[in-house]
Amino acid sequence: MAAKGQTSSEAGSRSRRLAAWLSGYQPVPGVPDELLDANGRPRAHWVTLLDGLASMGDEDIEHRFAAAGRRINDMGVTYRVPGESGERAWPLSRLPLLLTEAEWSDIAEGVAQRAELLDRILADIYGEGRLIADGALPAAAVTGSPDFIRPMRGVKPPGGRWLRFYAADIGRGPDGKWWVLGDRAQAPSGAGYALQNRLVLSGTFPGLYRDMKARRLAPFFREFREGLAAAAERADPRICLLTPGPWSETYAEQVALARYLGLLLVEGGDLAVSDGRLFVRTIAGLKRADVILRRVDSDWTDPLELNAASHLGVAGLLNVIRQGAVAVANMPGAALVESRALMSFLPVLARRLTGEQLKLPNIATWWCGQDIERAETLESLDDLSIAGAFRENLPGFPGKQALVGAEMDAAQRARLVAAMQDRGVDYVGQEIVKLSTMPVWTEGKLQPRPFSLRIFAAATPQGWRIMPGGFCRVSDQLDVRAVSMDSGAQSADVWVLADRTPDHATLLPPSDGGRIVRVLGLLPSRAADNLFWMSRYLERAEDTLRVVRCLCNRLTDAHTADSGDRQTITRLERLLASWGAVPPPARGAAAVLPTTAMARAAACEEKAYGSALSNARNARRCASIIRERLPQDIWQLMGRLDDRLDRIGARGASEPEIIEHIERALHTLSALSGLIGENFNRVAGWNFLDLGRRVERAINTCRFARQFCDTDATIETLDAMLELIDSQITYRSRYLVGAAVAPLLDIAILDQFNPRSVAFQLARIDEHLAALPALVDDGVLEPQRKLSVRLRGKLAAEAATNLDVSDILSIEQRLMGIADAIGDRYFSDNARRNSLDRPAELA
Amino acid sequence: MIYDVKHVTTYSHETPVSSTRCAMRLLPRSDAGQTVIRSALELTPKPETSAESTDFFGNRVVEARIATPHAKLRIVMTARVEVRRSEPPAPELTPTWEQVARTAAGSDSLAPDSPAHFIFAGRQTPMSDSVTAYARKSFAPDRPVLESAADLMRRIHKDFTYDPDATDASTPLAEAFEAKSGVCQDFAHIMIAGLRGLGLPAAYVSGYIRTIPHEGQPRLEGADASHAWAAIWCGPEFGWLHLDPTNAIFVGNDHIVVAFGRDYADVSPVDGVIRGGGKQDLQVAVEVKALESAEKPARSEPPVEPKLI
Repeated sequence: MAAKGQTSSEAGSRSRRLAAWLSGYQPVPGVPDELLDANGRPRAHWVTLLDGLASMGDEDIEHRFAAAGRRINDMGVTYRVPGESGERAWPLSRLPLLLTEAEWSDIAEGVAQRAELLDRILADIYGEGRLIADGALPAAAVTGSPDFIRPMRGVKPPGGRWLRFYAADIGRGPDGKWWVLGDRAQAPSGAGYALQNRLVLSGTFPGLYRDMKARRLAPFFREFREGLAAAAERADPRICLLTPGPWSETYAEQVALARYLGLLLVEGGDLAVSDGRLFVRTIAGLKRADVILRRVDSDWTDPLELNAASHLGVAGLLNVIRQGAVAVANMPGAALVESRALMSFLPVLARRLTGEQLKLPNIATWWCGQDIERAETLESLDDLSIAGAFRENLPGFPGKQALVGAEMDAAQRARLVAAMQDRGVDYVGQEIVKLSTMPVWTEGKLQPRPFSLRIFAAATPQGWRIMPGGFCRVSDQLDVRAVSMDSGAQSADVWVLADRTPDHATLLPPSDGGRIVRVLGLLPSRAADNLFWMSRYLERAEDTLRVVRCLCNRLTDAHTADSGDRQTITRLERLLASWGAVPPPARGAAAVLPTTAMARAAACEEKAYGSALSNARNARRCASIIRERLPQDIWQLMGRLDDRLDRIGARGASEPEIIEHIERALHTLSALSGLIGENFNRVAGWNFLDLGRRVERAINTCRFARQFCDTDATIETLDAMLELIDSQITYRSRYLVGAAVAPLLDIAILDQFNPRSVAFQLARIDEHLAALPALVDDGVLEPQRKLSVRLRGKLAAEAATNLDVSDILSIEQRLMGIADAIGDRYFSDNARRNSLDRPAELA
Repeated sequence: MIYDVKHVTTYSHETPVSSTRCAMRLLPRSDAGQTVIRSALELTPKPETSAESTDFFGNRVVEARIATPHAKLRIVMTARVEVRRSEPPAPELTPTWEQVARTAAGSDSLAPDSPAHFIFAGRQTPMSDSVTAYARKSFAPDRPVLESAADLMRRIHKDFTYDPDATDASTPLAEAFEAKSGVCQDFAHIMIAGLRGLGLPAAYVSGYIRTIPHEGQPRLEGADASHAWAAIWCGPEFGWLHLDPTNAIFVGNDHIVVAFGRDYADVSPVDGVIRGGGKQDLQVAVEVKALESAEKPARSEPPVEPKLI
């Protein structure tokens, strides 16, 4: 009885909830909506979704949404807004957009047709040029595009296609049909975000996702990768994703995509041209690059032939393409088809090139470079919007993307009309876009919001493949103009609902999380460089914190401290100052900070380049460049370290609190080194992480020894030394007497069994260098290895009683020499790339 | 007229450069009215690879790679060029400027000299309302295009001060226009931006002008340095006509063309990527000697030695 009663009350609350959601949902009159049909009735597939949600209970739903939010943070799904230094967390709508199989297949056919058409148009423009010579397309509708890359004229695209990865932005118009709003051919972004959206949402509602038979995305990505590979000259090609770097707006997406597809993520500086071929600079020398998935805009890809100011590209890349030695997706110059000017000619070009009508129409567009079209546009200005023919912005109206005819004031109108009379070629008239709405979840309610949808197409040897899903952007306002991620919009996962249960093969992976390939291949020099430095910075942060802790431990009774302690404090302070851990004293200020202030500054002063916080941030900066190689938890722990250090600076923190925070930060650092030791893939550059740490620790240990074990050393300074190198226990177990210089130096410098000694670090350094690949296999030691072998031999033969400060300094310098030699041998000298100054034409 | 040209470019780097990869547009092109008899480009240190090709606009480009560390790079271009240009047409016979703009927008050619390439904003020639307004004063309705363009050229010559210290290779056009001063590059850019603002096809031409003046005539601005001017397309019948706003003259047999493009960025004499090097110092020396000339000056002065050897 009780159970039955509960069930019916549950069913009751479920239907009440559903009814409340639906009755509170009010679409805009005259605008089609995804949830409700023209008669205001909810569509069956949306009811299935909402009913599934309603069965969960309010608390359950909120818990799931909260978990989704954490998942997004943990995955590091972020994006950048131009002009901001930080990255923003990804705003994911809690509800997916639902598309029926029938609806989707119409879209897919239309997008595939369009991709093929655009590829043929590109082939004609860069090849024979018949469309222009025959008058089907005015030359100026092409030459006005900043993406008409002239050096590519006459070039045969390696692999046979100009376009390999294309996206169409579509929206549902007032008549309920889908329309193409824009074409993306430069380097379409969003596919990686779509993948992330799927991972999060399918994890949030696994049951619903399964029951609704949403089509998987994985097969599309597998075919996309196969298509890229097929473009290469040789089997099993090396495919690189060329990124503009961590400052790019969509860097996080590029990282995710490179990881998922198993591509090598490279920046321009990682690539080199030699003998007409393209190579990746790796720690094992130059390795051939066969295919480039390009995320750098065409104009920036080759400073020799294109934009000379570019540091993102590769000098000589276009020549390699010309010789057919590298396939690029998409070819430089493919983004030509993004221009609105071209859009106005597509209906005609479609009939001419494919013999078909456009299956998905694009919004009606008139290019004003032609007298008749310009006159018509000006005549019906009140019903149109005016946009740039070739560029994002409206020429002559800085900061504006388009002007709606009916909304202009008289001055704007006069200025625009005059500009269109002078330079009609720069403008198009377009019909005004009105997008349909879909439901979003806002504080327990459903609300209609306009959206646009990006559909992705990939070229494969079997033709175009369309991703069964997409990147859906939902506006945060009811009144829609354009939907872009930096205007407060959110994105939604897109579920294409299969008519039948997805076939067996696509069912195999439990979700789309199954990686397709997991071979990151050889280690690019830049990645090695950043791994090495990330690790050096972390070690430097740790050693700085140890000094600070040592200082704080001596502060508690500083006023009563005897001269020995005072001397130790002075030396610790000197050490921090020489490391740049405290800001230089301001002019006119007291020369030395009070000791507590100094300790705090050394831990968390942003303005001191050598403070623990600055070092931790530098480590994080290095890590951000190689994020695709770092396990997620390492990335997260580095964020936490930053927080912990920041907290030390909190106003009014007392000495004991400072010590407590320092301890915590040190714990985080040990957790990090533990994770790196246990979880870091040994072929993916772990050598360089460990090398960085060993080199830095060895150097710092020498510095400690020079500071605390000189001829004026006291019991107190030697104690400080033991504390800094964490070797109190080792020392006391060996020597019953108090600290003395020679035994201490033996433990700190020469003892091969003490994991904090210089000799121990050097042995590991030498082992790593022996294990790394040689450039030439002639049995001759490379310079960096020669240095490590020699120094290792010297330390093995040295006696602690003979060591003085100048010997230690010489060891320290030789260690730095090893670090430099490692840099010269393995790391790309990208940082030193420069442009030649241009001679002016004076006269 | 036959000219011998020597153009020496020297880069001195604060610390040695480990490698240089550069593209040079220094060798003059053979063109209507001009034949290159011989030409050579010599680099010190010697490049590992060096290859000549032709860019989209038909300019000669030499791409070279130097992999030996060097603190100094010396590029010497020598050429003998015969110039025999026909007289420019009578300006009043050219079509109206409105007609030229319309023809250019409707062009059905992607050929390198098609006007369709030359009506849009370039890297260093952005559109500017104020520059367009300045140019418009020369373009009364239905005025023949060359007459209007020549008027604009003379106005620029009159309104702007030649001042080599006012600008450098990368000075934005707007800045030179505001200051009403600059060098040939600025004047050419301003003229081009003004013409394009009205929808007219305009090109940038780099080259040289004779060093030693004709007897009894003043020395032309721009000798002993590389020169630049503008060209305007005057319809299919007349094609491209060259105008030198720095000297307010039509380009004739005193000018030698090196390269032709949309603006300086298309014809920059040297573009390159280096590794290392620190601060750089750039010196350029140009010498243009007329060989066959009635009023050939006696060797009253020694040949000008390039300044930095």
